Amino acid sequence: MLVQVPGGWNPLLGRLALDQIPYTNPILAPLFVAVVIGAILLIGLITYYHKWGYLWKEWLTTVDHKKLGVMYIILGLVMLFRGFVDGLMIRTQQVWANGPQSSGVFGAEHGYLTPFHFGQVYSAHGLIMILLAATPLLVGFMNIIVPIQVGARDMAYPYLNALGLWITAAAVGLIMASLFVGDFAHNGWFGYAPIFELQYSPGVGVDYWIWTLELTALGTTLGGINLIATIVKMRAPGMTWFRLPIFTWASLSANIIALTSFPALQIALALVACDRYFGSHFFTAGYGGNLMLYTNLFWIWGHPEVYFVILPAFGMMSEIFPTFSEKPLFGYITMVAASFAIAGVSWLVWLHHFFTMGAGPDVNSFFSIATMLVGIPTGVKVFNWAFTMYRGRITYTAAMLWAIGALFLLLIGGLTGMMLAIPAINYMVHNSVFVIAHFHSMLLVIVYAIFASVIFWFPKVFGFKLDEFWAKTMFWLFSGGTALVFIPMYMLGFMGQTRRLDYVFNTAWHPYLLTEEIGIGVYCLSVAAFFVLLYVSIRDRVKNRVGQDAWGTSRSLEWLTHSPVPFYNFAVTPHVNARDELAWRRQNGINETQPAHYVDIHMPNNTGVAVYIGALTFVLGFALTWRVWWLCLVSLVAIIVLMIVRSWRGDPGYIITAAELEKMEREAMRRQQQIEADHLPQHGGHAVPGGAMAFDGQRVAPLGTPPSAGDQH
Amino acid sequence: MFKQQAKRLVAWGGAALAGLWASVANASIFWIFDPHGIMAKTNLQYMIIDVAVMGAIVGLTTLLVIWFMWKYSKGKNRGKYDAHWSHSNVLEVVVWGIPIIAVGFLSYFAYKGTFEINPYNPTVITKHMAPKGDPIHVDVIATDWQWLFVYPQYHMAVANELVLPTHTPVFFRLTSTAVTSGFFIPQLVGMIDVMPGMRTKNALESDRVGEYQGIASDYAGAGTSWMTFKTKMVTEADFQNWVAKVQASPKTMDYASFNRFAEPYINVNHHVVYFSHVEDGIFDHLIMEVMNGKTWPLPPAMTENMVAYLQKQAAEHRD
Amino acid sequence: MSAHNSPDPKTATLWDTHYHGHDVISTRTFGYFLYLLSDGMLFATLFAAYGVLSYSHSYYNGPTPADFVHPWYTFTQTVALFLSVLAYGMGMSALKKGSKAGVMNGLIAAFVLGAVFLGLDIHDMMDLAAHGVTVQTSGGASAFIVLTQTHAAHIFFGLIWIVVMMFQVMSKGFTTDTVGRLLTLRMFWHLQAIIWVFVYVFVYLWGYMS
Repeated sequence: MLVQVPGGWNPLLGRLALDQIPYTNPILAPLFVAVVIGAILLIGLITYYHKWGYLWKEWLTTVDHKKLGVMYIILGLVMLFRGFVDGLMIRTQQVWANGPQSSGVFGAEHGYLTPFHFGQVYSAHGLIMILLAATPLLVGFMNIIVPIQVGARDMAYPYLNALGLWITAAAVGLIMASLFVGDFAHNGWFGYAPIFELQYSPGVGVDYWIWTLELTALGTTLGGINLIATIVKMRAPGMTWFRLPIFTWASLSANIIALTSFPALQIALALVACDRYFGSHFFTAGYGGNLMLYTNLFWIWGHPEVYFVILPAFGMMSEIFPTFSEKPLFGYITMVAASFAIAGVSWLVWLHHFFTMGAGPDVNSFFSIATMLVGIPTGVKVFNWAFTMYRGRITYTAAMLWAIGALFLLLIGGLTGMMLAIPAINYMVHNSVFVIAHFHSMLLVIVYAIFASVIFWFPKVFGFKLDEFWAKTMFWLFSGGTALVFIPMYMLGFMGQTRRLDYVFNTAWHPYLLTEEIGIGVYCLSVAAFFVLLYVSIRDRVKNRVGQDAWGTSRSLEWLTHSPVPFYNFAVTPHVNARDELAWRRQNGINETQPAHYVDIHMPNNTGVAVYIGALTFVLGFALTWRVWWLCLVSLVAIIVLMIVRSWRGDPGYIITAAELEKMEREAMRRQQQIEADHLPQHGGHAVPGGAMAFDGQRVAPLGTPPSAGDQH
Repeated sequence: MFKQQAKRLVAWGGAALAGLWASVANASIFWIFDPHGIMAKTNLQYMIIDVAVMGAIVGLTTLLVIWFMWKYSKGKNRGKYDAHWSHSNVLEVVVWGIPIIAVGFLSYFAYKGTFEINPYNPTVITKHMAPKGDPIHVDVIATDWQWLFVYPQYHMAVANELVLPTHTPVFFRLTSTAVTSGFFIPQLVGMIDVMPGMRTKNALESDRVGEYQGIASDYAGAGTSWMTFKTKMVTEADFQNWVAKVQASPKTMDYASFNRFAEPYINVNHHVVYFSHVEDGIFDHLIMEVMNGKTWPLPPAMTENMVAYLQKQAAEHRD
Repeated sequence: MSAHNSPDPKTATLWDTHYHGHDVISTRTFGYFLYLLSDGMLFATLFAAYGVLSYSHSYYNGPTPADFVHPWYTFTQTVALFLSVLAYGMGMSALKKGSKAGVMNGLIAAFVLGAVFLGLDIHDMMDLAAHGVTVQTSGGASAFIVLTQTHAAHIFFGLIWIVVMMFQVMSKGFTTDTVGRLLTLRMFWHLQAIIWVFVYVFVYLWGYMS
């Protein structure tokens, strides 16, 4: 029944053997040493400061949606960095291995990466950036913000939320393990049939790829269920559908996509796994298989997935533009309609990923027009953001700069996307680096929106603002990098450079490749600026403390509670009276009004089960990759037993009494007053009832001066 | 101090981009903008239409956003501030109307263009074909990682070089005996996938003599980067001379020799082989073989060390 | 916009001290419904794959469903699964009356009939393998077996779940947790029966006739 694999296999260790560890690889071996030293240092530090208990009790076993969200975001940022390093390696290889005269080292004919290794690097780059960086970052923000925006105490299913995080973490663990044990897939992040079949990819790389994707899909599906249920079932009283904050709407549309499309990916990859493990013939060229089926199944998920990641980013921008324009979002209803239009049309466009596969002109033109339809709601969104700024009072904070950057990138990505949507153009640039530049423009919209959100919502979660100067410095460096990498890449696309070239044959392209490499250098500086940003902000955290309404002009419900958000979110459930509840309260001078009295509230307990199951899914994925059948069975049974045990014990939760609650609230209030007293000279927006809405131009720092760099010293 | 660094960075970056832009003048490097075949030319025409329409909208939107950013900047008192304005029926109609009209307009061209350059029956070629003489047929077979071009009308085949007469429609049938890849000659014709066990089609026609780069446009494994081929468009007389030259080659290609040819081979030195005779129906035969499960698998980890692999490849005298 | 249909700020309720939120069971069943939606998409994808791989050339030179499908044999499976769902439904009507014995009987009957279904399926698969029809035979056979066995795997996990619920009902009685789980299990079991209808019609009957 099982397929014979080339190379050795033994019942105890499967395909694992000492020679699968690339200790002779000149790139991986030093990296491995560095990782081991780093891990020892980290473990040592935690032990030295006796933080294991804190880590376990406060973070690893938590079911608090905010902490889970923060961990999602940390996971996403770490993977964003890993993906960036992969990108750096790709660019370096291409600028080096250019032309027949170029030198080669480390067993490569040209450059420093052999084709096989290069294939792994770009496959990992794509997979990580889309599924293990962008997705966890966005899921993290949805996790933190959505429950507070709808006025809930937690997600609908707090334990399931933790499970989603730890399964995603297991996927991350699996792809990181592929660096040091065995290898990774070389077939691109989306895979081609039949190159991922066993006879063309005999190693474990493709198996790592399959199980990483399967685990991510599982984690994201669980998260999607949770977010939809939270939005549908957990809204505070008075929060009708058309009072829902726009980011929550965007999350809802995105998660409907996730819920319905991820199963297609799970099946597509399960069938690849069947081919590789059981020798079935789903995607083989012979024996009645159909390799085009794979491409279709993958992109039936793949294209909705693109909108799954971009819709929350649009939602973030729709929160940031109104806040820093000091007026409501223009065209709220059409914004919602546009989100759902994008979500709906996303199901009808998958074939545009392979116009060149030889479908008839009728089919191609149908999908071409369907693809262009996406441009309509997207265009509406762009116009609506523009008209949100119209008649506004725009403050160019770092968050706003990132959001505006996202808007301009979206315009570029939209222009090139409309080019790719037309088959008569697509044939010339499909699979060229023009496509790469296009979807990087689009994915950078997401990255820009994410950094905007990091700056925008950071004070809500941690209680202090990030340093504006370094946030802006990072923005300009990052934008410089974007221009220097992707403008030449668009140009190279028009020169006919195809994607995924380990060796670039045309020396005339060298100046462009070199410019891209310089751009990568500028990106490196922006990464450094990010670390400085974190360091400076944490160093100055006391003086950058903020109260509930961190920006003074915030609008939606999350800014009504304290910063940092207490673990119970709202001591008393707010009653929602308006679309932009906080703006409405501030306008009417009642934004500081507190509840008259408190009652007991019920909270879920922490649990270690989610961490254990996450760890076991990692073991299961690893065992499946290496074909260690007994370990697969053991971990699967252990997972089922743990689930049964958890269901047996249930979670009675615990009660915070009204008295305890009042004490905590009073403490938070005292903190708020302290901060207001400290900060009054600069931005006393929330101290003056209706302050932000009244014209107070003279009290605002002049444009370009970061609020925090003012007169503290 | 930091501002100076930033300025220097901007200056360097700007200089680099300006340098790149200067090279646009050297148009021939922009293959997509310099088409030498009717298919590529048609593609470029549609690109110009699309960029004109969308570029106008995107450009105006950009200007609008920049103008709003300037006018409504806080503290500058350039524009009127309205804390409540968030809806306008007129503007709603405009913001939905502009994209709808643009997409509707472009949809017509998308539809028309898809038929004109449909690789299976490109009307830009077939509609005007009669006076241009008999078409040339070429069967393209992609292996790991070489191209075999079979000329069934001449019973001959050439590996890794495509020579075609000008002023003549050329029709391709394409397949692969290994994995999926793509067939792409940027200045002559757009991409089409080549897939094992399947047949795709493409066509081109060019009036200009010259040498053009052909590329394997889809990742097909370790040798993809070297899976390139030169396409020579020559006059009818030169083409006949070339055919005669190929037909004088001592090498021939039958199913047995194809088995050896199709074994994984990285074409680092761009070698070209002429086969004076090729077994009839080899194209259809190979598709059937692949459908029946024939593969030419890779040795495990053959590309872990490419230098070593190339030495082995050379030692087998296949180079 | 925000000011248009909002209440008077002087009298508006700002905090809802006595808001107790959602009903636990309805939130859980809603979430479970969402999961079933994704499960349905899973099967939809498999059906699509089966549809693509059910042309005559998909069976290569090997047998087609017309050669190896036994509609009457499979019909007994259908009957077993439907009776299992019926038994479960009767258990649920006993739940409305609060009858523990009724629920237990329903669960036991549903388990036995489900196990019969699974046993027949396993026997059928062994039989096919003995006649040389495995996933390795052809693309069409792969699609046939993976689709039917994915459904069988769902039934297998459903059986484990039924056993777990039997123990929970016995030892805990009808708590919010157990009642919620009985309801979600009912949804799961019904969906598997509905999907079986599609499997039986499109895979077995249609396969037999084509």
